[in-house]
Amino acid sequence: MELTIDRLSKRYGQHFALRELSLRCEPGMLGLVGPNGAGKTSLMRMIATLLEPTEGTIRWNGLDIRTHGQALRQVLGYLPQDFGVYPEFTGRQFLRYLAAMKGLSRSIINKRVDEVIEIVNLEQVADRKLPTYSGGMKQRIGIAQALLNDPELLIVDEPTAGLDPAERVRFRTLLASLTRNRIIILSTHIISDVEAVASRLLIVQEGRVLSDTTPEGLLAQAAGSVWSVTVDQATALQLQASYQVSTMVNQMHGVTLRIVSATRPHEAAVVIDPSLEDAYLLATGKQAVQV
Amino acid sequence: MTITALTSTEQAARVIQRPRLLVRVMAWEFRRFFASRLFWFQALGLFGFLLLMTWALHAPENIGAGVVHGGSGDSQPLNGFVAGTSAGGLLRTLPTVLVVLALLLPFVTADGVTRDLNRRTHELLMTTALPTWAYVWGRYLAALVMSLALALLLLASILGMGWLLHLTVTDYPAPEIGTVLLLWIGMAVSATILVSSLGFALSTLLPRLSTLVKVGIMVAWIVGGLVIPLGLGDTTTPPTWYVNWDPTGAITARGLLPVYAINPNPSITSEGQFQQFILGVENKMPDLAGWFAPHLLLAGLSLVLVLVVAFAFKRSRATLN
Repeated sequence: MELTIDRLSKRYGQHFALRELSLRCEPGMLGLVGPNGAGKTSLMRMIATLLEPTEGTIRWNGLDIRTHGQALRQVLGYLPQDFGVYPEFTGRQFLRYLAAMKGLSRSIINKRVDEVIEIVNLEQVADRKLPTYSGGMKQRIGIAQALLNDPELLIVDEPTAGLDPAERVRFRTLLASLTRNRIIILSTHIISDVEAVASRLLIVQEGRVLSDTTPEGLLAQAAGSVWSVTVDQATALQLQASYQVSTMVNQMHGVTLRIVSATRPHEAAVVIDPSLEDAYLLATGKQAVQV
Repeated sequence: MTITALTSTEQAARVIQRPRLLVRVMAWEFRRFFASRLFWFQALGLFGFLLLMTWALHAPENIGAGVVHGGSGDSQPLNGFVAGTSAGGLLRTLPTVLVVLALLLPFVTADGVTRDLNRRTHELLMTTALPTWAYVWGRYLAALVMSLALALLLLASILGMGWLLHLTVTDYPAPEIGTVLLLWIGMAVSATILVSSLGFALSTLLPRLSTLVKVGIMVAWIVGGLVIPLGLGDTTTPPTWYVNWDPTGAITARGLLPVYAINPNPSITSEGQFQQFILGVENKMPDLAGWFAPHLLLAGLSLVLVLVVAFAFKRSRATLN
């Protein structure tokens, strides 16, 4: 099983959502990260045959999906960033419906639906009408439907958005358990989600691949570039204006900053172990502040 | 925390046979329809309304034959009526009832595919292995069956109310089932297929203009079925081609009605005889030559349009999410 993307571009008018992106995926999990508008969703929608590329090819097991899209869809599980449901149906009916549309045989549909309902922990509400579901429950229905056909290629776009911390951990564990014998592409803004489960990281920015690495590789790149310093409020503001600050915590005796910088940002700063979020900030040159 | 592992679906036949996929799409669309209370409420409401219309139009034309002299030398006015559920009566009333049906049908069929775009279920479906043809045709045929079921309610209301009137109103004739069926097929069924197919096809081709498509069909039907016939007045004779090809049936009915004109025989001396005379005229089998085949042909052409749409439908869209 192999997914090959060659010089893939997507242009909307004069704007490039994706520019000559090439990629080869084998079984395992690919974490797709990047700022908003980087082209992640466009890339995933093109792989899922929902969006036509302007240029380039996507091949699944050597077959161009423009002409052999059905072969890919047979083995695809896709969770869009934003999706709707049929308000007339219960959660269970909705999953049975999608299982039928995915071509699962009648004999297996009920068993399969029960299984995915249990996986996403919706047994208690499976027979309630979908409009009564909370955002998190709806998201779990989305995850469940993506797993219905035991996909060889699973594409999940912001799957943990709307999930509470316990459900997020549960989902991460589930994804980790699924990585054998399938390709999983996980797009997320939550770096800790990727850190926990992805064996490979693809950082995309402005439609281009900024870095194709592993979490360990990204961390290694950031080694010696993350600093911690506790200073007064005024100095903290000065440092914030001059450096990439990943966290900023107000404490009794001052403000503790976590700074991403190739050089020592302050004489009192000490080098600390980078987190994946620090490494990501270093790679993308973006600044995120948590106070 | 326990995570249930996914068992393999190797035993699941991933590619199931083509006709079954079409049936699956239709079956699930029916389930969706039937799961909605609003659907049942609307169907019941329509049936009630059609019964009421049939009752209200049960004597679309009252005929006074003036004063004649009986055998005894007395004079008496002769009054009669054309039964609304007879062939002559249906030609007077059916086009108006069809306007009601045509106003409803676009809402049943036009959103067969666009509903998924509006509800954002489109991407979930388009990333399944469901073939495009099965999706489009399954949705269309399900909507068409629902539309024909509504047309069946019209037939049921005509026959049901016709029999009720026959049992309760003096001189009201029982509906001639064969004649009613012919007019229902030639006018109501053909119109149902045409409106359903047009609504579905145009909305699927132009999903962003789905509301406009519905409004357009409704306005066109009102103009063709009500405004133009009124504009023509009672004296103008419409051209033959228009009589034969008018999809609303209003002008077709006008072209056929002269055969059903009531010209009392001078030998008629009682109201009973007069009503019997009207009965003989109003229940004549309508002349099918000329209009029946073109009406069915229009319905058939609209099916071809759906076929074209099924070929033109694109799963992927070159737009932002």
